[in-house]
Amino acid sequence: MEALEMYTVDPNDDVYTEELKLNLGPQHPSTHGVLRVELKVDGEIITASRCDIGYLHRCAEKIGENVTYLQFTPYTDRMDYLASMNNNLAWSLTVEKLLGVEAPERAQWIRVIVAELNRIASHLIAFGTYGIDIGANTPFFYAFRERESIMALLERPSGARMLYNYVHPGGVAHDIEDGWLEDVLAFCDEFEMRWKEYNTLLSHNAIFIGRTANIGVIPKDMALDYGLTGPVLRASGVSWDLRRDVPYLAPYDDLEFDVPVGEGTHGTLGDCWDRYWVRMREMMESIRIIRQACPRVPAGPFMDKAMNRMYKTPLKPEPGEAYMRCENPRGELGFYVVAEGGTSPIRCRTRAPSFCNLSVLDALLPGTMIADGVAIIGSLDIVLGEVDR
Amino acid sequence: MNETDIHSKLAGAVVSGVGALDESAKDPFVVVDPGSLVPAVTFLKNDADCRMEMLNCVTAVEREDCIEVVYHLSSVTHRHSLTLKTRVERPAGGTHESWIPEVPSVAALYASADWHEREQWDLLGVRFTDHPDHRRILLPEEWIGHPLRKDYVYPHEHGGMPLDLDAVPLYERDEATPSEPAAPRPSGTPLVQPPNPNSDRPDAGGVAPADSDGDLRSIKPGSNDGGGH
Repeated sequence: MEALEMYTVDPNDDVYTEELKLNLGPQHPSTHGVLRVELKVDGEIITASRCDIGYLHRCAEKIGENVTYLQFTPYTDRMDYLASMNNNLAWSLTVEKLLGVEAPERAQWIRVIVAELNRIASHLIAFGTYGIDIGANTPFFYAFRERESIMALLERPSGARMLYNYVHPGGVAHDIEDGWLEDVLAFCDEFEMRWKEYNTLLSHNAIFIGRTANIGVIPKDMALDYGLTGPVLRASGVSWDLRRDVPYLAPYDDLEFDVPVGEGTHGTLGDCWDRYWVRMREMMESIRIIRQACPRVPAGPFMDKAMNRMYKTPLKPEPGEAYMRCENPRGELGFYVVAEGGTSPIRCRTRAPSFCNLSVLDALLPGTMIADGVAIIGSLDIVLGEVDR
Repeated sequence: MNETDIHSKLAGAVVSGVGALDESAKDPFVVVDPGSLVPAVTFLKNDADCRMEMLNCVTAVEREDCIEVVYHLSSVTHRHSLTLKTRVERPAGGTHESWIPEVPSVAALYASADWHEREQWDLLGVRFTDHPDHRRILLPEEWIGHPLRKDYVYPHEHGGMPLDLDAVPLYERDEATPSEPAAPRPSGTPLVQPPNPNSDRPDAGGVAPADSDGDLRSIKPGSNDGGGH
């Protein structure tokens, strides 16, 4: 707030600035989709902001009440379209919890591998587009090169490049082919090398640090108050990862991985650089998980037998309700499903991580420069398909 | 602590209105009266053994006889979580047009409740009293009705745009022989939406801000007469 006082306007002066209303978005490249922010600016300083969301609202929750449990899986693809595997996984686990079934072991290990691959792909987008937000165009092309490899890998079992519809309630849709795990491991080796390039390119670049360190600081209490999850929460120094703390897939108990948290390396704890750096380190943790998981994928069925039979007629779970949450690349994705005995739920609530993470924006922007506002929006790494659903 | 311990602490602290713990559910939950909601949540947040720092999710669920609002709370410190519910009984013949249930807001306790409660107001028409910014969030401010209510009727048009799936595309319309008018709303017209006391829209029943001239949000619904550009 000290910066603001420098710019405080004295109306008795001859020279003064006038408050201006500025409309950022919804068609603005730095808003990562169709986010609109109404800003009040005093010169270059933002004095007030108000988010306007809903431009991509597709009534996913209403659709969920009108389709069967299995038919809703492809709709979850379209929420966070950069992490479709993780969305499928969260929905499948919710339905499995409601039915009281569990996927076979082979399916669980495959789920871990595809979810972590998708996490890397999603963080690569965050890394590449964040560079563009700040003014570095090159990292984007590097990030998309590796993301292309991941999409090619995920295309082989699922048949799709972005919207996979691969993880189904009861298991996975198709078995993985021979040699796929070896290719995944080869990708891990290559990616590790590339990851070091990214750091040379962007992470430790002095201009990049200057643009992101000490910007948009979210203290720990504020992060918890706003219900922030995922890398945004961990960058504020809270070690909270559902994969470790509330394990939702059995293999995560057997796997060794660290949960990176922010350390305030170049500035204050919880600034934009910390959020960026947590994501970068999470990619390497995912590589670590995949390396451990690939040799341990057991033989066996990839789809629950009883579940597979149930696919022939629409599922009718017993009346009840289930809340299931998963650690998505952007944070906690929760589905709250209420069944009353029919073939479709009566309520199909989605707790989207981007929705909660974006809600902190109005509190962060006042007092910052407009250009820093762009850096803050980018560091939250939102996907509007998930904010609006 | 597990849900049983948290519930016994909660029942000992808040004098009235805390129901029994339903342990038969997949996620055991506690039902509290709407009047005891804020004291109960305050206790859960501040008590050293409960320490529910995070409000993960606020969900309104419409059932036959009531609307229930479900709060998913979790603690990062103690790594436990609790599901809290509050119920508002449906009055006889209460439809989404005539019945707006009211539940106290917890936005003063958790900043995350702000947007969640706005979304539940927007989609299910649950009014959260004492909410600091009680506006719609996903739908346009001039939208009528709350689409996730079971008796919601789909509108035929919005702002001049036909919404029916079989509506005639604009470029195929014949001005001379207009197509059949849309069927009337089955559940009676007009659809009355209660004015939003917190809205700063001049026609929404609230208080208009002093600088509403030139305001970005001052476009009136239905004033889409094509002028300007």
